Formats: sequence, C-alpha cells, structure tokens
Amino acid sequence: MNFIPKFDPSKVFFEPWATPELIAWNSQVILMGFLVCWASGMVGTFIVVRRMALMGDAISHGILPGIVIAFLTFGSLEVGPMLLGACLAGLACSFSIEWLQQNSLINKDASMAIVFTSFFALGVTLINLQAGHLDLDTDCILYGEIGLTPLAPNFIFGGNDFGNRSLWVMGLICAAIIILVSLFYRQLLLTSFDAILAHSIGWPVKIIHLFLMLLLALSTVASLESVGVILVVAMLVFPSVTASFFFHRLPSILICTFPLGILYTFGGFHLAYWLDCSIAAAMAITASICFILSVIFGPRSYIWKTAKKKPS
Amino acid sequence: MKNWVIVFGGLLISSSFLEAKQIGAAEDLNWLTQAERFIEMKDPSIRKVALGALLMGLSCGLIGSYVVTRRLSLFGDTLSHAVLPGIAVGFIWAGEKDNFSLLIGAGIAGFAGVCCLSLLKKFTRIHEDSSLGIVLSAFYALGICLLTRIQKVGYTDQSGLDSFMFGQVSALSSNDINGLFITLLMISLFIVFNFRQLLVTGFDPQFSKSIGIPNDFLQFVLWMLIAFCVISSLQLVGVILVSAMLVIPAATASLLARRMKTYLVLSSLLGAGAGISGTFFSFLGKSLPAGPLIVLVSALLFLFILFLRPEKGILFCWLNTRSERSRIIVENTLKAAFQILEQKGFEENEITSLEIMKKRGLSRPEVEKEIQNLTTAGLATKNISPIDQVSLPSQTVMTLTPKGWEYACRMVRNHRLWELYLTNEAEYEPDHVHEDAEKIEHVLGEKTVRQIERLLQNPKTDPHGKLIPSITDIHQGNLPGAS
Amino acid sequence: MKHHDLPIEVHDLTVSYQKKPVLYGVDLEIEEGSFVGILGPNGAGKSTLIKTIMNIIKPNGGYVKIFGDSPKTGIKRIGYIPQKESVDWDFPVTVFDVVLMGRYGYHGWLSRIGKEDRNKASECLEQVNMLAYADRPIGNLSGGQQQRVFLARALAQESAVYLMDEPFAGVDAVTEKTIISILQEMKKAGKTLMVVHHDLASAKEYFDQLLLLNMRKVAYGSVSEVYTHELLQKTYGGKLAVLSEMATEVAKNADT
Repeated sequence: MNFIPKFDPSKVFFEPWATPELIAWNSQVILMGFLVCWASGMVGTFIVVRRMALMGDAISHGILPGIVIAFLTFGSLEVGPMLLGACLAGLACSFSIEWLQQNSLINKDASMAIVFTSFFALGVTLINLQAGHLDLDTDCILYGEIGLTPLAPNFIFGGNDFGNRSLWVMGLICAAIIILVSLFYRQLLLTSFDAILAHSIGWPVKIIHLFLMLLLALSTVASLESVGVILVVAMLVFPSVTASFFFHRLPSILICTFPLGILYTFGGFHLAYWLDCSIAAAMAITASICFILSVIFGPRSYIWKTAKKKPS
Repeated sequence: MKNWVIVFGGLLISSSFLEAKQIGAAEDLNWLTQAERFIEMKDPSIRKVALGALLMGLSCGLIGSYVVTRRLSLFGDTLSHAVLPGIAVGFIWAGEKDNFSLLIGAGIAGFAGVCCLSLLKKFTRIHEDSSLGIVLSAFYALGICLLTRIQKVGYTDQSGLDSFMFGQVSALSSNDINGLFITLLMISLFIVFNFRQLLVTGFDPQFSKSIGIPNDFLQFVLWMLIAFCVISSLQLVGVILVSAMLVIPAATASLLARRMKTYLVLSSLLGAGAGISGTFFSFLGKSLPAGPLIVLVSALLFLFILFLRPEKGILFCWLNTRSERSRIIVENTLKAAFQILEQKGFEENEITSLEIMKKRGLSRPEVEKEIQNLTTAGLATKNISPIDQVSLPSQTVMTLTPKGWEYACRMVRNHRLWELYLTNEAEYEPDHVHEDAEKIEHVLGEKTVRQIERLLQNPKTDPHGKLIPSITDIHQGNLPGAS
Repeated sequence: MKHHDLPIEVHDLTVSYQKKPVLYGVDLEIEEGSFVGILGPNGAGKSTLIKTIMNIIKPNGGYVKIFGDSPKTGIKRIGYIPQKESVDWDFPVTVFDVVLMGRYGYHGWLSRIGKEDRNKASECLEQVNMLAYADRPIGNLSGGQQQRVFLARALAQESAVYLMDEPFAGVDAVTEKTIISILQEMKKAGKTLMVVHHDLASAKEYFDQLLLLNMRKVAYGSVSEVYTHELLQKTYGGKLAVLSEMATEVAKNADT
C-alpha cells in the first residue's frame, strides 16, 4: 500500500456526496467544521491583535483537568458540566499565570509554560488514573474526531426531535459568540488597542479581558470534540493572520473568517478523504496552505510591495 | 456523545493495551512490593528506565537554564511540537522505528521550523507570538496527518510512534539511552567550553558582538541543542510535555540560585530528581504514563520552593510581615510611653494603661496586650494599682526598664530628627511631615541617623519645639526621675 | 469654606514603583486655563505624576482630585495623550478609526456611533492637517503623523483638561510647530493643559507655567518666576540622597 494514495479527483471530490445517506452524514460533518472555524476565528482575531496567540494555546491545554474533574464530579459527559468545568479551568489557568508573574520574578513566557503544562499533566494523569472507568480517551481529546459528529444523539425537547445535539450546542455557542462580538465590538476594539483610553472613559478593562477569556474557553471546549485541544490553536490564529494580508481594517478581517472557515472545512474534508487521515489535521494543513499563499500573493504582503517598488 | 466516545475510545484503548508492556505487569503485586523492586534496582528494565530519566532530567535542566533566562520557553514549546512531522518522515524513510533516522528527521523538522520563524519575522509584520502559534500548529498538524496516515498504512513496528504523545517508558530502548547520554555529553561540553561567552551573550548581546564573540553561531548551536534535548526526551515524556521539562526545573532553580554556576547545577539536579521520582510513581501506578507524572512532580517542587524558600518564599514573607507588624506596635507603645512621661516633665516614672489608651487611641484589651508584650520582652515591668475609688476599675501600671528607656529614647530621637530634616532640608510643609515620620523611625539605621544629626548640626529641638534626646542621654541610661 | 473646584489638585502625593519611591509628598494646584510644562531629569517622576492623576497607578499616600472629584470619576473629564511607544502601530485600524475612538466616551455601551461623531472626527483631523490620511492604516505613518493622530483623537474627546506625555519627542519640526499652534488654540478656548516636556530651551518659549519636578515638587509657578538658574540647578543637580534612600526603606516596609 502506497504511503500517498493516488489522487483521483472524481473519487476525492464526488464520492463523499454520492448517495443520500452519505450526503446526510457528511453535511453534518461539514456544518460542524464551519461552526468550529467561525467560532474560533472570531475569538481568535481578538486574541491575535492582543498578542496573546500562545495564551490561546495555553488555555486550550489548561482546560483539560476541568473537563476531567467535571466528569468525575457529575459522572457524565453531559455538555453542561463539561462546559462549566472547562470554563472554570480556563479562568483558573489565566489567573494562575498572572498571579505567578506578579508574585515572583519568573518572566511571562516561562509562567505560561509552567502553568499550562502542569494543568495539562494533571488532566492526563487524572484520565489515566480512571482508565477503565472513564470513557474519555486521550487521543480524542488531543485531536478530536469530527468525522463522528453525526453519531451524537439527537436533541429531544418536548417530544420533538430537533436533530443532532452536538450541532445544536456548537451552533448555539457559535451564534452566541458572533452576537456578543458584534454587540461589544467597540469595547473589544478599544480595550485591545488602547486600554488606557478605555480605562479613562470609565470602562471596566479587566472585566472585558475576562469576558474574552471566557469566550475563548467556551469556543475551545465546544471545539474539543471536533478538532481536539491541540489544533484549536490553528483555528484561532490562522483566519486573522491570513486575512491581514488582504484587509487592513479589523471589521473586514472579522468578516473574512466566514469564507475562510468554509474554505478550511471543505479543503480539510476532501484532503482527509484523499489521504485517509485525521480531518482536523487536514483542516489545519489547509489553513497553513492558505496562509502561505496569502503571504506570497496577498495584496498587502511585503513581497508584493517590494516587487512593486522595484523599477521594472 | 457518549456512544461515539465508547466506540472510538474502546478501539483505541484496546489497541494500545495490546502493544504496551508495563514494567512489572502482574496485577497482583501491591504497591509496596513495587516500590521495593524499584529502589533495589535489581530489575534491568527498571535500571534502564531510571538511568534514562536521570539523563533526561540532567540534560533538560542544564539546557533549560538557558531556555528560561533567554525567554525561549514558548520557543521550546513550539520546537517540541514542530519535530513531530520529522519523526513521522524519519519513520517512513527507514520503514521502521530506527532511532537514528527519527533523530535526523526530527532535527531537520526542527531546523525547518526555525527557518520558518525567521522568514516570518523578516518578510511579514506578524508578531512573535502569532508566528510561534503558526509554526506550532502547522507543523503539528502535518505531523498528526502523517502519523494517522502511517497508522492506516499499517507499517510493522509502528506502535512505537503512538508513544511519542505522552511518552512510553516501557518502550525505552538502549538506543534511546545512548541518545540521552550523547545529548547530555554534548550539552555539558558545550556549556563547559563556552560558559563565559554564553554568560556575556545572554546578558548583553550587543556588547558581546563588539568584543568578537560569535553570537549568532552560539545561538544557533543553542537552538540545535535544545532540539536534540527535545528529541531524545520524547520517548520518556512525550511531545506535549517535553517543554515542561525544559522550563519547570530551571524556573525552580531560578528562585534559589544567584549565580549562573549554582543555577546550572541546581537546575540539572532538580530535573534529575523530578525525572526519577516521576518514573518511580509511574512504576507504582502500573498503568500511568511517566511523562505527566514527571511534570507533576516538577510542578509540585516548584510550588514548594516558591512558598517555602528562605527569605523570599511566600510563606516567609507572610511571617515576616507579621513579625514586623508586632515590632512596630512595640515601638509605638514605647514612643507613647516616652511622650506621656515627657508631658509630666519626667517627674514620675509610672504610666497607667488609661494614659496609653488615650495617647494611642486603643481599647483596654489592646493596651493590656501591648503592656504584656513589653513586659515579656524585658522592656517594662508592670503592676496592678490598688483600687482608689469604688467606681474606678483597677489599672495596670507600667514602668520602663533601663533597656526599655533606651529603646524608647532611640525611637523618639529618630522620629524627631527625621521631622526636622524633612522640614529644614526638604522643605516639606509641617502637615506633611508627621504622617511620614510615623513610618520612618522604624527603619532608620544608626548610620543614617548620625548622618542626619551632622547635617542638622546636632539639634536639640524638633519643629514642634520638643526635646530631641541626645546620644549621651541614651547611653547613660538615665531613667526619668533619676536625672 | 470650599473654594471653587480646581481642574487638578494634588496633595502630599507619594508613589512607589517596584518598591522604589518615584514621587514623594507632591503638592499641586492647577488653575483653569493653565498651560503647564513639566520638567525634570529622567526618572524624576514626570510620567508617573501624569499616570497617577489618570488613576493608572495607585498612590501610596496623599490624594488627587479632578474638579473636586476622585480620580475614578474625574478622569472622564481628562484627555490623555500617551507616549507614542505605548501603542501597537501594527493594529489593523485606520487613522479615522483611531480618531473616532475619542468619541466612544460619549456613548453608552450599546448605542450607535452617529453622523455627528463622524463629522467631529473629520473636523479634528482637519485641525491637525491629517484629513487626507483618514483611510490610511496607522502602520504607515511617520512619527510626527502618529503624534498628530493622537492629538486629533484627544481633540475629539472635547475634554476640559489635557495631559500629554512628551508629545514633542521624536517629531519633525513641522509637526512640532503644528502641535504647538493647536495647543495655543486649545488654551485660548479655555482648556487646561499639562505637558511633560523633555527640552529645557524650548520649555521657556512654549509654556505659561512650569512645574519643576524631581521626586518632589521643586517649584511651580509662571515661567519668569520659576525658570531661574538656582531652581533649575536644584531640579537637575542631583537628588537628596538621604531622602531617596529612606523613602526606599519605607516603601519596602510599606505592607506593615
């Protein structure tokens, strides 16, 4: 068996959509992909402009013990407790990093590394202590399995079947993030750009920061099932850095998240179908390729500008 | 959600369970026996693992010192994720888990990662943290993709690759041990031969360039050594947690050491200690991977030192603050005693608790406590005065001992000298001076007080016209009423 | 008897930064319509004074009053122009976006930015000769242009008091002239201005009052009163050694 399977366009692009059952199955996977990309992209844009990209990485590792403890406390993998546990752990992670910085001479990046690796190690150890009792396995936490989204149970309310529950949860979170970001756009913008001005007009800068951390934890947790903890960073960072080579204003960059999300999902899905590998990894690879292309060909790229300047 | 987790989880767990060979896998042995087995080191596999953990701890601690001081912690994290595709490619190239080709692959991937970071820095305006995030996730995704592909293709002996996530101590081979040993050797030699240069380049890169130290070359070698350390530690701790071993022992050592040599030694010892203890606990726990446990042990050590280190530990700071506070209360009481005696023109030498209450604005129990503190410290003696009238409660009466009197005089002198200094030399308004002087006399040292006295030409009175006790008064130990 | 509320009133202000004293027992009363230049050597506490008034740094002793209010509410009436270096110039916003931020204080959390706000922003950009650059990303500006954008934003805030931290540092001569003339206009309009300045020679020309600061207030008054050899010597000539040492000791024990 070859390492890289033969690339047959008809097979790769049309086979997944060949039968009605396949369409029903795969469209749920695709929809989940969209929602994950959009939610992470929106939050991630602010994380990137605040120069906190690796904080996103740190928090996505740090929420692990929260999820495990929630499972141990409530005894189930229900969404509610998991979200709660993850958000609490995420906030604990970000508080610990700040506390460590203020109460010792340890510099910022070392503080982040210490806190999130310890939290993560704690989470993994707790999972392994429960091996056999716990249905949570480390691999899925690490890189998710978006392909199994349709297996989730349906959401039943008042005797009506509304469809796939995972999609509902992710959909609500994504919608909430989009609405909140639009509603509080000015606050997020000003506190990111000039916190002192925000402070001087009486805005609670720390609370807005916490609010953003909360949104981050929320979108990370919700994406956990699909792309896993590690690849969340890709979804946070890539949309805005890619868009910044096309647009120079923040609102445009935010809006760019939507087409990019669609591109990453379809690209990743078909790439994974061809190579028969993890869809999440393929999505991140697609995102990287888009990024590289935008660095070289984007209208705002340095290379383009230097080329323009050169006398022809 | 539960259904699919069971399905998928079950598949993965069972597959890994079949491959993994635990050290001392017999379920019946209880943990005490396990502990004995470990400590005795009779079992060759135990010896191998302990040796590996020791070597890894030493290497990571040593190179970690430079990672932490040069703020490369997150760079270390990025590098540890970036080597993953290299490992996968090395495996494919060799067709099997051959350590040498994995190493080469990882080295190339690490190098490629570093190049990408430099390119991003040079050709874009993307900030450093975002660049690290980009390289980290892109390379990692590529690595995962290749790994899942390898799983699907079904190479023989591919089981070893799964262990790179969190480390699998049982899969440690003698090749791995050799690799660890060589890495440790390289790192030690590099540090020994370049100690001074590294010190200078770390502290002041510009200066070091100007005196001809090959800055960039040293930095490059440092990065490559970090990469080697990461790669050789992968089997023990796994990709995700390797950066913890680079950072946490070194950060712990930074809380204790003041000089670079001590720092390096402490850092490597802490790393080694964490490595061995973590492996020990993983051995006890039978099915626990060693990586996370080693990290947890390091983190606990870190917290322990953070709170309990002498002088600056958080616990000590808290205790110090409390003892400082009580010292200041004692001194304030003495000062109040002096002022009360002064008001009476030094004719009596007894001070009642009522007078102190009025002077200090405190309640009766608080004053009683203060008097007790002074008595215990040998600074005063106390009596209970007889009841004069039926309605007056009995009062505690205090007399300063010679030691107490000397202390009180010193306090008052410091306070009043400082007030004078602020008013005369620093031109402060009188209403500013008083509050600040309240704090100063507790910290003025003798040398400074002499300095001020000379500056003010040995004054006799303070801005409010009150007496400044002179040194002679204090040294003669004159008690009021006796002079 | 309570006299009219001064724009800025500072009493016995003591501020430490990382256990070292930066300001010690500073008293200040700034009248409305003043145009004050703040001078002093490096590390004298000039920026710290501004930041303490803006409630960014909490003092260890003493107080600040802005129009008689505590800083928490009072700073809403101050327009603050920070040092250029404190901003991320790669941020994806245009010149116009930045100036519009000056109007945010006039809106509640959810209310929309209206046409009057946009007009006001354009006006302010016009005032600083930057209207042509309205749609430029801020990353493409020179030092002088950046400073003018900040000034425009402050004008858009329409505050009564303005605090500026070294607005003339690193700007070209043209920009410096522009800024000074705008400041003069603002003063004529009755605003109170306090500017941290780095250059002794030009300070004499630009300002009406001078504050000489070196950990403590050395002098405050009109330029003619204060700009004397003796006072300048006192300010720049070296600190009171014992005072600063002692203040360090007190600050270290500040938790007790």
